[in-house]
Amino acid sequence: MSDHKPLPRITPDNRPFWDACRRHRLELPYCRDCGKSHLPPGPVCPFCFSSAIEWRAASGCGTISSWTIVHKEWFPAFRNEIPYNVVQVELEEGPRLTANIVGATNAVLRVGLKVEAVFDDVTADLTLLRFRPVE
Amino acid sequence: MMRPVLSIKDQAAIVGIGTSEFGRRLPRSQLALAAEAFKAALDDSGLRRSDVDGIAIHLGWPLGVDYDRIAECFGLDLRYVTQTWLHGRFVTHCLQHAAMAVATGLATVVACVTAVSFTRERDILGGPADFEGGREDGGTHGEAPPYGLTAPAGGAALAMQRYMALYGATSVELAAVPIALRKHALGNPLAYMKRPLTLEEHQASRMVVDPLRLYDCCLVTDGAVVALVTSADRARDLKEPPVYISGMQGIRAGRGEFIFSPPGLGINQQPTARTTPWDRDMESYRMAGIDRSAIDGFYTYDAFSPLVLFALERFGFCGPGEAARWVQGGRIGPGGELPVNTSGGLLSEAHVGGWNSIAEIVRQLRHKAGPRQIADAKFLQWGTVWGDSAVFRGARA
Repeated sequence: MSDHKPLPRITPDNRPFWDACRRHRLELPYCRDCGKSHLPPGPVCPFCFSSAIEWRAASGCGTISSWTIVHKEWFPAFRNEIPYNVVQVELEEGPRLTANIVGATNAVLRVGLKVEAVFDDVTADLTLLRFRPVE
Repeated sequence: MMRPVLSIKDQAAIVGIGTSEFGRRLPRSQLALAAEAFKAALDDSGLRRSDVDGIAIHLGWPLGVDYDRIAECFGLDLRYVTQTWLHGRFVTHCLQHAAMAVATGLATVVACVTAVSFTRERDILGGPADFEGGREDGGTHGEAPPYGLTAPAGGAALAMQRYMALYGATSVELAAVPIALRKHALGNPLAYMKRPLTLEEHQASRMVVDPLRLYDCCLVTDGAVVALVTSADRARDLKEPPVYISGMQGIRAGRGEFIFSPPGLGINQQPTARTTPWDRDMESYRMAGIDRSAIDGFYTYDAFSPLVLFALERFGFCGPGEAARWVQGGRIGPGGELPVNTSGGLLSEAHVGGWNSIAEIVRQLRHKAGPRQIADAKFLQWGTVWGDSAVFRGARA
C-alpha cells in the first residue's frame, strides 16, 4: 500500500471531473439555473440549491492562490520528490482546487502566478490534473 | 436573530478537573491515562463516581477511547453520551453538549473526557493509514493525498503562506507565538517542554511544510484530561468554586469557512475579502453580558502557530492582517496585555486535544495557577479560528 501514491476516491459526484481529465480536458460542474460553477463537485448547486447540474469545459487557466513546499515524508511514496510543491489554484471560472506545479522549480512559486492545466496519466485509468506556469 | 426560548448563560459550570501525566511514548494505555485523570477530577470536585451519569468524549478510538469502552471499563452507569469526530476541533462542542445536558436534565454530571496517545497512534496522522485524509475531494484540513498534501499541517501552511503574501507577515513575526507560549510553559510543571525557545532556534529549526517550521507545529504527546460539568445549582455546594460557562457559540461551517484560515482569507472556496469580525462571531460575549475587552486571557487551539493569529483576528482582538504584528513585544506572553494559552498550549505543554487549556482556564479562574496566575482573572475565553467560543466566568466575577 505504502509503495504507491494515493489515488483520488472516485464517486458518482466527481466521476465526470476525472473522466474529463482522462480525455485531457478540464470540466467543471455548472448550475443550469443560476449559471455558476462550483467545486468540489456536488449533486446540487451550493449557491441556489438547484439540482440542474451540467458539466462544461473550463479554460484550464488560473492563478496560484496559495502554495506550500512539503519537506516532511508523510507518505513513503513521495520520498524521492521531497521537497515538492502543493498549490491551490483559483481557476479563471472562480472555483479553487489543489494540485501541483510542474515544469518549473519551486523558486517560482508565488501567490498570483498565472498557470495553465496539464494532464498527467499516472495510471492506465487515472489522469491527475496539474498546472504549469504560463510562459 | 431570534430570542432563544431559554438561556444557557451561567446554567452550567465546570466543577472538577483532573489530568494524567503528559509525555511522549507513555507506556500506559489511553484507558489508564483516562482513569488517572477521572479519579483526579472526582477528587478535585468532591463528586463520586456514581454521581457521573453523562459523558462527552472528544477524541475516540483509535487516538483515544470510545464512550462505551470507558463506561464498561470504569463501571459507569450513563444516561447521556456524546462523542465527536476524531479531530481536535470539538472542544467547545463537547462542553456545549455537557452544559446543555445538565441544564436540561438529560444528565446531572457530565464528564468531558479526552485521553489520547498520539505517539502510539501517530501513523494515522497524515500517513498512509490516515483514512480520513483521503476523503473524496479533500480532507477536512485541506488534505489532497494524490498531490502529496497529507496532514493537517498542510492546510495550516496553505493558509499562512497566503496570509504572508497578502499582508507581508514573516516567519520571524510568527515565531512570537511559539516563543510566548514556551514562556508560559516554563511556569507550568506539567508542561512537556522545559527549556526556553529563542528566535534563533525557531528560525534554525527544520522546515516541515513551508512556511511552518518545526516549532510552529504542536507537540505529539500522550495524556488525559477530564472536566466535570454540572448544573449551577448542583455546583454551588461542591469542593471548589464553580467556573461558570457564561457564553457559548458553535462551530461555524460553510463555503466561507476553512478550518485553518480566518474568514475572507481565500483558502478552498472562501470568498476573499478583508472582513472585520462578523457580528455573529460576537455571540458568546453578548450571551455572557460582557464586552470583548473584559476578557482577561485567551485560550485557543494552537496545533500550528498561525492558528493563534487567525483566532485573534476572528474575534476582533486585532484587525484582519494585523495579528502577526499585534503579537509582538510580549503582548500574549506572561504578564502581557492578553495572555494566550497560559499553560503552554499544544505547542509547549502537551497535545491533549485542547483540554489542557480548559484545565488551565479552571485553575486560573479559581486563582490557583501559581506563577502563571493572571492577576484578578474574571473572564477567560476559549475560542478557535473556526469560530466556536466559550466564555468562562470565575465565581468571584
